[in-house]
Amino acid sequence: MIRLKLFIVLFFMIVAGPVSAQEIEFGKVTKDELTEKEYPLDSDAEAAVLYKYRNTFYMSGAANSLVTKIHKRIKIYKKDGFNQATEEINLFNSRGGDESVSRIKAFTYNLENGKVVKTELDKEQIFESDLSYNYKQVKFTMPNIKEGSVIEFEYKITSPFIWNLDDFRFQEEIPVKKISAQIRTPKGFNFKQTHRGYLNFHPKVSKTRDARVGMDVVVYSYDLSNVPALKEEPYVDNMSNYRAGVMFELVSIQIPGVIDRHYSQTWGDVAKNIGNSSEYKKELDKTKSFGDIIDPLLAGQTDELKKTKLILKYVKENTEWNGVDGKYFQHGIKKVLKEKKGNVADINLTLVAMLRYAGIKANPIVLSTKDNSIPFFPTLERLNYVIAHARINNKDYYIDASHEFSDINVLPIKDYNWGGLMVDNPNEVWKHISTIEPIVSANIHAIKASIEADGTAVGTYQSRRTNHSAMQFRTEVKDKDLSEQIEQREKAYQGIEIDEYTLKNEKTYEGSVSESFSYNYEKGLERIADKMYIQPLLFLKMEENPFKQEKREFPVDFGFPVNTKQIVELSIPEGYEVESLPKGVVMDMPDGMGRYKYVIKSTGDRIQLSTTFEINKAIIPAFNYKILKEYFNQVITKQAEQIVLSKITSDETTSSSEKR
Amino acid sequence: MRLLSLISSFFLCFILHAQKQHYQFESIDDNLLKNADAVVRFDEMTINLGSIREIVITRKRIITILNKGGNKHAVAYVGYDDGRKIKDIRMNVYNKEGVEIEQFKKKDFKDFGAVDGGTLYSDSKVKYCPYVPIDYPYTLELTYELSSQNTGEMPPYWSFLDDFSVSTEKSRLVINYKDSSLQPSIKEKNLEGFEITNASSGNSIIYEGNNIPAFKKESLSPSFDKIVPKVLVRPINFSYEGYEASINSWEDLGIWMHDNLLAGRDELPAGTVQLVQNLTKGIEDDLEKARIVFKYVQENTRYISVQVGIGGIQPISAIEVDKVKYGDCKGLSNYTKALLKAVNVESYYVHVEAGNDKVSFEDDFPDLSQGNHVILAIPYNGDYYWLDSTSQIIPFGFIGDFTDDRKVLVIKPDGGELVTTTSYANEQNLQFTKSICSLAADGTLKGQITTVSTGIQYDNKYFLEKQSEENIKRFYKSYWDNVNNLNLTNYEFSNQLDQVKFTEKIDLNAINYASISGSRILFSPNIFNRIRNVPIRYRDRKLPFEVQRGFLDEDQYLIQLPEGYVVEALPDKVQLETKYGTYSINLEAVDGKIKYTRRLLVKQGYYPKENYSEYRDFIKQISKSDTSKIVLKSNI
Repeated sequence: MIRLKLFIVLFFMIVAGPVSAQEIEFGKVTKDELTEKEYPLDSDAEAAVLYKYRNTFYMSGAANSLVTKIHKRIKIYKKDGFNQATEEINLFNSRGGDESVSRIKAFTYNLENGKVVKTELDKEQIFESDLSYNYKQVKFTMPNIKEGSVIEFEYKITSPFIWNLDDFRFQEEIPVKKISAQIRTPKGFNFKQTHRGYLNFHPKVSKTRDARVGMDVVVYSYDLSNVPALKEEPYVDNMSNYRAGVMFELVSIQIPGVIDRHYSQTWGDVAKNIGNSSEYKKELDKTKSFGDIIDPLLAGQTDELKKTKLILKYVKENTEWNGVDGKYFQHGIKKVLKEKKGNVADINLTLVAMLRYAGIKANPIVLSTKDNSIPFFPTLERLNYVIAHARINNKDYYIDASHEFSDINVLPIKDYNWGGLMVDNPNEVWKHISTIEPIVSANIHAIKASIEADGTAVGTYQSRRTNHSAMQFRTEVKDKDLSEQIEQREKAYQGIEIDEYTLKNEKTYEGSVSESFSYNYEKGLERIADKMYIQPLLFLKMEENPFKQEKREFPVDFGFPVNTKQIVELSIPEGYEVESLPKGVVMDMPDGMGRYKYVIKSTGDRIQLSTTFEINKAIIPAFNYKILKEYFNQVITKQAEQIVLSKITSDETTSSSEKR
Repeated sequence: MRLLSLISSFFLCFILHAQKQHYQFESIDDNLLKNADAVVRFDEMTINLGSIREIVITRKRIITILNKGGNKHAVAYVGYDDGRKIKDIRMNVYNKEGVEIEQFKKKDFKDFGAVDGGTLYSDSKVKYCPYVPIDYPYTLELTYELSSQNTGEMPPYWSFLDDFSVSTEKSRLVINYKDSSLQPSIKEKNLEGFEITNASSGNSIIYEGNNIPAFKKESLSPSFDKIVPKVLVRPINFSYEGYEASINSWEDLGIWMHDNLLAGRDELPAGTVQLVQNLTKGIEDDLEKARIVFKYVQENTRYISVQVGIGGIQPISAIEVDKVKYGDCKGLSNYTKALLKAVNVESYYVHVEAGNDKVSFEDDFPDLSQGNHVILAIPYNGDYYWLDSTSQIIPFGFIGDFTDDRKVLVIKPDGGELVTTTSYANEQNLQFTKSICSLAADGTLKGQITTVSTGIQYDNKYFLEKQSEENIKRFYKSYWDNVNNLNLTNYEFSNQLDQVKFTEKIDLNAINYASISGSRILFSPNIFNRIRNVPIRYRDRKLPFEVQRGFLDEDQYLIQLPEGYVVEALPDKVQLETKYGTYSINLEAVDGKIKYTRRLLVKQGYYPKENYSEYRDFIKQISKSDTSKIVLKSNI
């Protein structure tokens, strides 16, 4: 929430004025609505919001408040839609006050023998419980629900957090036939509105006098019809980024002659705001007493990058992330070093302070993680995280010490989310930077296989993973014991049987991680009559296309770019010769998004295959989805092609001798 | 400076000295570390029964967590509700060396509602200790005291092992009862072969277990509950929410439930009685009437759970359910029972332990706490029909793998009775698939498939009927994920509720189904039914294994080959006969067509660990045979 210390005398209670007229009246459920069998625009929909009305406005009184009125009418078509009959209202409470809900009125409508029968929600069936430390939940479910029921409810939420306008959500998991949302803000209170999602909509803006606050107000009205349901898809960073809606942010209060104040309007302003907080100004900028730790640690070191590595190592070894995000300290530097644990800010700001102590140009970068949604516009509230930045020899280094396997320029994937804010208090530079991008992870898988006459393959496997792939792999194997890991591998690799399994470098965060084993493979090799058919990638073959749906509305988020090389060396059994090999090929996706290269050759009883699979962008936009899907398809088809071996028959020997 | 460091080192010495370093990591026996993510160092529960309305439980539990995977066994919480009060709760945390590093008192614990997904409201709560571990191993010492008037809520068992991958150093159960009328009944389960002793004497029951190594979860192993060493505990004379009981048999328990908690709850408003009577007008047969009533319940109610006080075992009244048209398993079953009564059909309220895992009630151990679900039993011609009123789509009389083949408590007015529910045996769980396909020279497959499923296989499929087109397409794309580029062009379902038979008719095509290698085409004739997951291999299998439900799959495909191609090679016929089941495939090439038939029977069974690799081989051979390919060669 915006820390608005200066509170202005602005609300004068006069008389209650007229409420804005709703188009669809509460209680006027029609027979047509009750008889409708499916939603006309989406016959799959289990339920639909027929109408949603939302009105948010200010009230002045003993305490000023923000009031939101909700009216919702929902049609239930199918049994799967019954969960729509349960409404959950989450209410925030803190030292600043409690949100509350009142005037809950709710009815279920059914058509019974051609007559509309309405059932009211019993007030005793409204339950309140504590959801978490800061949230209460009020919950009710409608009586008498059947396929075909229409439910309708309305209620009012009163909030003391008057500068926190909740997002308007226009899209739900079910289709919305009509939505009408309105917000009235006192004139001079300027809220910036940012639209989200892939639908197009615009508010109508008007001015009117609102007696409830005794001031002129600006009315923004959003009217949308036929909003499709929001549907989950794989490889999405965070679904809420794509839900149609509006976000509000107070940018200024301008009342001529009274006040002219501006709040975070540019990213630079937001960065400066953070820099000016006492947490950064005092705690971060002034803490300098690391002599006992840093001096011996860096003794004799002159190279700044080496110093940075040593300090990072120290911080990683001496702090543990407590699972809490944050851009501000939870405990502060001293306490973190003493108790050895803290939130993200505790850890990364300690790192910044230590780097600065060592004479390295280091600063915090404040950002919003993927799970916290994209920071669509300059705002303080929506930033939830801080990492460290160091500039050494004109190069940028990004560091997040909170993850066990992170390294310099290898951050947890959630950190790569549309850049961040550099808060450089020492040089008074506060700006947005967009260059924090994950680097390519290069991986090599190499197998040697000897194909036996009985149609099995035995051999060895070795792999090396770097950067984010290494980080992922290390995180994955960390809590598994060896046999569990082997079992998991045997399963993932088409039921091969593994021996001599070894991991190297899997416990540290620096450098690459290696995996090796010997195996016995029985699938994928066909011995039919006097021929043998082999899919040369054996168990490394990609089995199925992760992209199965025809259409996609959201970008595909791979997390990071990869370059995977697979090298296979096969030796064929005695008595067989190579009859045919798949053809070599190079496939390119447009705009350098990806490339697949397949090179195969045979010499004597050996076959060598080398493939390279590249995805060069961490995020592929939705309009390239079809290309991406097709790319995977072709790769899979290529990998399914077979080597044909044929038996060297004694006939041939005879025939050749006859020729002689 | 010097003085300071002296003082601090003195202080440190003092702390170290004052610490009883009982729980160092070092002192754990190697045998207990094997396969373990956590080691229970000491766990003791003392139950003091002061009177029929006074139960006090004290617990001291010390557990060393060895790694992150062990955190889920830390159990740094205690559940309570309005009837069960926490008097005292504390937790201490020790590091690897056994030195105390943190302390939590009652005020440091946090409260949460213990509510699961389907529950609208429950008064159950949890006190939870928000400790974040920093280093492994670490040790937690949790102590608490609970008191309640509900002696009927006595913890129903004491396990000497917590879970898979947890070992136990010492575990004790102590029950002190004031006089013999309060003496609970005990039943030992799986204690043989473990260091567990019974030292009961006087008015005390005492069991102690020592040095019990961890079980490792293995594929197909029986559920942990079936193999864990434990003692079951049940009160004979007890009080529950003010109702007193004296239980010596399942019959007694049935009478007590019926008289105290069910009687009078099946009244209905006259209008509703009239309504169901009209619905069944002119029908004589009880089963037919029940069908109609069950359909009415399915169409007019839904599952919503509200748990307050005695609501844990007593259903909400039928009148209440009739008003709101929702309820939990108790409320809905009782409502159906009331409606049936209104049309003169007798039915009984049934306690059952529901779940995919078949768990039976203990034969000679009548205990209120057994069971987690309620269904109904309708007696008919000397047999029972079972109804689950919480499902709005399940066919009448079908219970699927949720409550099949297990002993349940049927509560009759004149007493309770243990009865085994319907079992769906091997061949009854049939999936019969017929398909006509064609393969084009470019590798494209086109086909029509008809599949009929019954028994448990019906249970796996019939939900599809109510799914959206998108979900259906997604289902088949993942169900047949061996077929790349699968494109569903049409689907049709028929759900024959009366016969419990589900039919799918699918039209599809797939580009590049066959792979082309020069002048040859390779493809696998088993397009629609492959066993792909071979059970994991174990070097040293420790536990027996179980196939909980058998099944029979029959497949017949007729595949038209592309013109200009002849069969170069066909996979061999396969015929496997084992005690785990049978498998056969047969291929014939006639008239430019391939006729593929496959039959797989997997039998239900419980087998010793020694059989595992044999069973695995059986599945492995099937899996290999299921992917075997046909080779076509161009004859041009």
